[in-house]
Amino acid sequence: MAKDASSGTTSLVSRPVVVEGEISGEENLHVDGRVKGVIRLSGDLFVGASGVVEAEVDARSIVIQGAVTGKVLARHQLEVQPSGRFNGEATAASYEIRQGAVFEGVSRMLGSKSQAEKPASPKEPELKK
Amino acid sequence: MGIFTKDKPEAAAPDAARSSGDTAFFGAKLSIKGKVTGSGNLIVMGKLEGEVELAGELVVAPTAVLNGEIRAVTLAVSGNVTGTLTAREKIHLEKSAVVSGRMATPRISMVDGATFNGEIEMKKPADDTPSKRSDKK
Repeated sequence: MAKDASSGTTSLVSRPVVVEGEISGEENLHVDGRVKGVIRLSGDLFVGASGVVEAEVDARSIVIQGAVTGKVLARHQLEVQPSGRFNGEATAASYEIRQGAVFEGVSRMLGSKSQAEKPASPKEPELKK
Repeated sequence: MGIFTKDKPEAAAPDAARSSGDTAFFGAKLSIKGKVTGSGNLIVMGKLEGEVELAGELVVAPTAVLNGEIRAVTLAVSGNVTGTLTAREKIHLEKSAVVSGRMATPRISMVDGATFNGEIEMKKPADDTPSKRSDKK
């Protein structure tokens, strides 16, 4: 699986769609709708402006233009764009928080000592309401 | 809608669904366990276990494996589906379709070569959908 660039297919949860449960795969995911539950990707997660994600996320890069609530792990980068709103616990190798973005919660660096338990096991459905 | 992969363009896989905006797409390497609801169309190429309630067209690609209770307006199946399939308008099974379980639909079509094991119930749409219907318009 290519690790440098986010190649591969991008799946789409379109605007009028709601997924409740566990999404996993070797893909990228673009969310314009709603996802609640757990997202585990070896690719990137892109949450569009209309997207609402309430989930535990483990992905390569996470780009937020919409709303994300939960515990997220971005193994490469977490980016919150000006329209983005993040609420929760983030762990990332690098961050980019743009002006206007909302970031409320905890941010940790991936690999640092202050990092809490690594959500490495694939079976960890934790719903944050 | 910005494509965030700045360097590489999308692979030439059928994920051009993004351009139509309202067609959801679950790729071949995606696995979903849970409930998918909503409107618009959905193309599934990967695994889906659970429930689908879609006010639109559901396309099950040849590589897809679905398991559970599937409800949509129309269903076009080329892959593997086990469970209950309910369509408000029609179900179409392609040659590569392998379906086990129960189908409830007012109209059905099957291409020679499709595999179906189970029951078909053909009723008018009004009888077809019990209490759980969430039409989001």
